Amino acid sequence: MARSGTRPTTTPPVGGAGPGRRAFGRSARVALGRLWRRAVVPALPPRPPGPPPEGQPRRSGWTRVLGVCLAGFALWLLLDAPTLQHNAQVSPVGARRTVSLDILGPIATVSRDLGVSHLVSVADGILGRTGNRPGAGAPLHPRALRPGGLRPHPSPVPSTPTTAPVPLNRHPSAADPLRVLVVGDSLGIDLGSVLVNDLDQTGVVQATLDGQVSTGLTRPDYFNWPAELATDLARDHPEVVVVMIGANDAQDFPGPPDVPFGTSAWDTIYRSRVASFMAEATGQGARVIWVGMPPMQDPGLSAAMQRINGLVQQAAAQNPDVVYVSSWTVLGTPSGQFTPYLVENGQEVNVREPDGTHITPGGAQVLAAAVEAAMRDDLHVSL
Amino acid sequence: MLFPTIDFAIFFLVAFVACWLLNPYPTAWKLAVIALSYFFYSWWDWRFVFLLLAATVLAHLGGQGAARRRAAPRAARVWLIASLVGLLGLLGYFKYYGFFAVNVDNVLHGLGAGRLVPLVQPTLPVAISFFTFMAISYVVDVYRGRLEPARPVDLAAYLCFFPHLIAGPIVRGEELLPQIRRRRDPAEVDFSWAIWLVMAGLFKKVVISSYVSTAIVQPVFSAPSAHSALEVVFAGWGYGVQIYCDFSGYTDIAIGLALLLGVRFPVNFDAPYTARNLQDFWRRWHITLSRWLRDYLYIPLGGNRGSDGLVIRNIMITMVLGGLWHGANWTFVIWGALHGVGQCVGHLRRRRRIARGLPAVAQGAWRAGWQRFWTFQFVCLGWIFFNASSFSNAWALLSRLVTGWGAGSGLVTPLLVLVVAGVIGAQFVPAGSLVRLQRVFSEQRAAVQAAILGLVLLGITTLGPSGVAPFIYYRF
Repeated sequence: MARSGTRPTTTPPVGGAGPGRRAFGRSARVALGRLWRRAVVPALPPRPPGPPPEGQPRRSGWTRVLGVCLAGFALWLLLDAPTLQHNAQVSPVGARRTVSLDILGPIATVSRDLGVSHLVSVADGILGRTGNRPGAGAPLHPRALRPGGLRPHPSPVPSTPTTAPVPLNRHPSAADPLRVLVVGDSLGIDLGSVLVNDLDQTGVVQATLDGQVSTGLTRPDYFNWPAELATDLARDHPEVVVVMIGANDAQDFPGPPDVPFGTSAWDTIYRSRVASFMAEATGQGARVIWVGMPPMQDPGLSAAMQRINGLVQQAAAQNPDVVYVSSWTVLGTPSGQFTPYLVENGQEVNVREPDGTHITPGGAQVLAAAVEAAMRDDLHVSL
Repeated sequence: MLFPTIDFAIFFLVAFVACWLLNPYPTAWKLAVIALSYFFYSWWDWRFVFLLLAATVLAHLGGQGAARRRAAPRAARVWLIASLVGLLGLLGYFKYYGFFAVNVDNVLHGLGAGRLVPLVQPTLPVAISFFTFMAISYVVDVYRGRLEPARPVDLAAYLCFFPHLIAGPIVRGEELLPQIRRRRDPAEVDFSWAIWLVMAGLFKKVVISSYVSTAIVQPVFSAPSAHSALEVVFAGWGYGVQIYCDFSGYTDIAIGLALLLGVRFPVNFDAPYTARNLQDFWRRWHITLSRWLRDYLYIPLGGNRGSDGLVIRNIMITMVLGGLWHGANWTFVIWGALHGVGQCVGHLRRRRRIARGLPAVAQGAWRAGWQRFWTFQFVCLGWIFFNASSFSNAWALLSRLVTGWGAGSGLVTPLLVLVVAGVIGAQFVPAGSLVRLQRVFSEQRAAVQAAILGLVLLGITTLGPSGVAPFIYYRF
């Protein structure tokens, strides 16, 4: 690397393929050479020669910094490729995922051969990161998609339940509290944070919240909600399970073959997963209150949520132990449009976050009241 | 584009090479910085690039107009005020309009005047609080004569320079503009310090902040009534650790990245949990915001001059507005007011001690320890309001401190205690002790340095979770 304070002279170019190309190639090389030399020559008065001041770290030239960083990055890529490959696998289906997997596949194979991937599981053990958690769900079983056995299904239309919910007829007390479990994605956390506190303050409810950001039922390879629910059911033995999941579910099922969101095949798989999830809870004797997604500011996302809500309603209609609570008009306008503000008890309340998706504490309070009303009216729980 | 992502790593690689190749050509360097920074900003939402551009134009017009202060002071003042109104108008509309509209409407409705203020909820652009404050400092500094007006291209590069763009540090014109104007020495990159900052920042953010957030802060803050008093105590301390590691981690990375490009940023954190009182805390926490509030709000209000009443007024206005700067929510107002009240009490005690001929702050090792302990507890009490989703959420947490004793505390694990204690304890390690480590690193061969870098990165990604949450201060 040049360390001189004087600017070097331009060296005459040599070589070339032909007259025209030679002229072009020569001038380009001259320009590039000049640029390169000017770039690596100190622009400021040069530092006095010799070692740096006593005790101070040495400085480096930028090309050396670039080389060290690239080599360090390449080493990390090699060592950490299996983790990166897994992260790519659980990312949304699309070109980015495909390209990432294509690049990381061969590198990850080399890395596995070196046995470095074992380090990750050791670190997880030290940090207590065992079991189900976002980013580390169960691998997708190829049969989970059942591509051959799918029947075309009409686009979902909000349906009315074909079965009336079976009441719980419960009169909880402080000595015999009602056990409630709230599970959900980030919107479920928005609701659950308020609902759990509301219920706990009644003094007759023991409520717990299990919220997992960026999760849903579409990608059990990212986060396995059925496994999580099984753990929750075994630990808490809830009598009522409140579910608010779906905001992250408007994405393709990864294949092969991928099943695109918006197709009837996708609807069939998703409805089946929702029904299984409901049955998992009701099979353990719990009643399920499934809270639908509210309208979103983004029209595309809002339409997707409406589609998902329709599928959930259809699944709920088939299970008498499930109550579906719509948030569509609870957090939207009477016509079902997105609104950031509502009037509640004469006061204007900001119900949605500025991102146009999440629910503010004020909005969660409104929605929690609807869930509590469903507990009282549909499940006949005295709160 | 978050710093700890592959996307950003690729972006920075391009930016690094482009900036150093263009280093000999000042104008091309500045244009490249502007293009790269606008691309970086557009990654979130391309529409807000025009907002950044508008803030730059307002600052430029204000600076040019304010520079006429000697020839036409009145005109200069008009330009200054017009520019500030424009800049604060943008910030006010995008960040605070919805909050004030709801509150004003509800008051008017309560008075029987009906709902007069139209309700809209603008999308909050990232970084608006930061680049607006930088633009204001530039215009005011030019008006005060501390800074000569910058060329448009210099000003644009100063305001949008991507390492500081999203969440600071809030760099002043006098610090950054000269570095933008002159060429940087390509043979004098402070690599060992820069790489230390970037790696330390990544470790704090990806490993520590994420772990503490998941282990205690999120579960307790989202359902206080389901947790014990001890868990609430650790959630408060844990959030203190989380936000420190998150925000100081971000600024460490920002300062390190700028250093790799040959640009120096001011320090933003100086072991804040070693502070002996709140005044000391604000000299160590988010230093570039503290000094902004001091120089552009507190001192113009009158500062320490005048009676105790006036000083208390100035402190409270500064701290409440400082709280509101963080977000349009009453919890931030309460957080700011809490720190304001604490500072007022400290101010009165100091004045009383000085009047008695005593040192402003009581001396002695035990007293210092006692002061540090209680300052940390007070700061963590404030963090409860800062992180609470609502006032009732904060109240539920605080009430558990009274009613929650005796319940199980399964979230308070030995590892959590170790991490919380370790982060606080690490602040007492003298900063100078790191220089030797950097020197040893700087003297290694390139291959050894690359191996160290690769292994440290592996350690960070192995210990961290699979996904990284956005930095807390991205919201502000």
